[in-house]
Amino acid sequence: MPNSDSAASILAALKGAGVNIIASLPDRGLLQVVEALMQDNEIRHVPLSREEEGIGICTGAYLTGKRCAIVMQNGGLLNSCNALATTAIQFEIPMLLLVLYSGALGDKAFPMLGQFTEPVLDGLGIPYHQLERIEDAPAVIGGALIQTYNVKKPVAVLLHKGML
Amino acid sequence: MQRIDCMRRAAAMIGDSPCVVTMGQNWAEWDSVRPSDGNLQVRTLGLCSSIGLGLALGLQDRKIVVLDGDGAVLMNLNGLVTIGSEQPKNLVHLVFDNKIYEASGGTPTATALNANLRDLALGAGIRSSHEVGDVEAFGETLKDALATDGPHFITAIVEPSPEQGGHPRIDDVEKRNRIRIDEVENRYRFIRYLEGLEGRHLLEYPADIQPPTS
Repeated sequence: MPNSDSAASILAALKGAGVNIIASLPDRGLLQVVEALMQDNEIRHVPLSREEEGIGICTGAYLTGKRCAIVMQNGGLLNSCNALATTAIQFEIPMLLLVLYSGALGDKAFPMLGQFTEPVLDGLGIPYHQLERIEDAPAVIGGALIQTYNVKKPVAVLLHKGML
Repeated sequence: MQRIDCMRRAAAMIGDSPCVVTMGQNWAEWDSVRPSDGNLQVRTLGLCSSIGLGLALGLQDRKIVVLDGDGAVLMNLNGLVTIGSEQPKNLVHLVFDNKIYEASGGTPTATALNANLRDLALGAGIRSSHEVGDVEAFGETLKDALATDGPHFITAIVEPSPEQGGHPRIDDVEKRNRIRIDEVENRYRFIRYLEGLEGRHLLEYPADIQPPTS
């Protein structure tokens, strides 16, 4: 089962980076993160019913000066490709993509998603960073936020299940 | 009912409200009746409602107007579901339902068959959901939507726009748009427009982002 301490660390890292709107769609591995978002009073949490709409919500909120992130499984990343290409990248919108890395090495769940995750991000030209140890969360998430504003396109952080 | 007649009515009513507009003839006609840096042209079919929701969450004291088409809405019914959950008071979603994929050659959409957008929005939890068939009803419904808390969803049943006649030809408008603006310029102009409305700074530069502390 995912660990609530890890979820708290990820949320703290997002707050430390000044993120104030987060859209999410749960995976079992993200359960604690999503529950922590639901209980949080500082971050505006928007639960989604399909991940691609979250790219639109983050885009709209960014245009009003908000710092935005979306929390989803890598299947959701694949669901979001058109919006990433024709909205987020085409309009140069910064946002963080926190992507649960299902099907990573040794993970039996969704092996095809694991196989396609990085090639899809490479194909979209989206920079990505692995988050495998929870103690690295502030540096990786904070660094990714700096990068997304510098490169003016989404930046992904791949959340490994073992850490959660 | 012609879409452009609804748009002329809407343009006279919405004041300086920011608008999120789906691409194609929908954008061309809107841009001809309300040329403004306060219009964001959306390239991802269906994403207007979600972008509108993000804007509505960020600027909660300001009406945000979405100008959409039936094909686009059908491509992101999830957007309606989330608006139904979030209940943004300041979102006004206008859909011009011509029952065809206009920009793609005129193939029928599901609203030409059995789907009904007003009912879909109601089912998604958007309680103020209306269907109108003439310009007067459109104007009255929009007037109420602008004056009261939403979210509001108004489907205007319109004829497919004629390619000739009194309507702006898409080629001419698109040509002007291409000269006037691309997506990145649209983004910056739109943010500056919002800053002007709000009287405050919205655009963050990389220098505004602090390095992580751990």
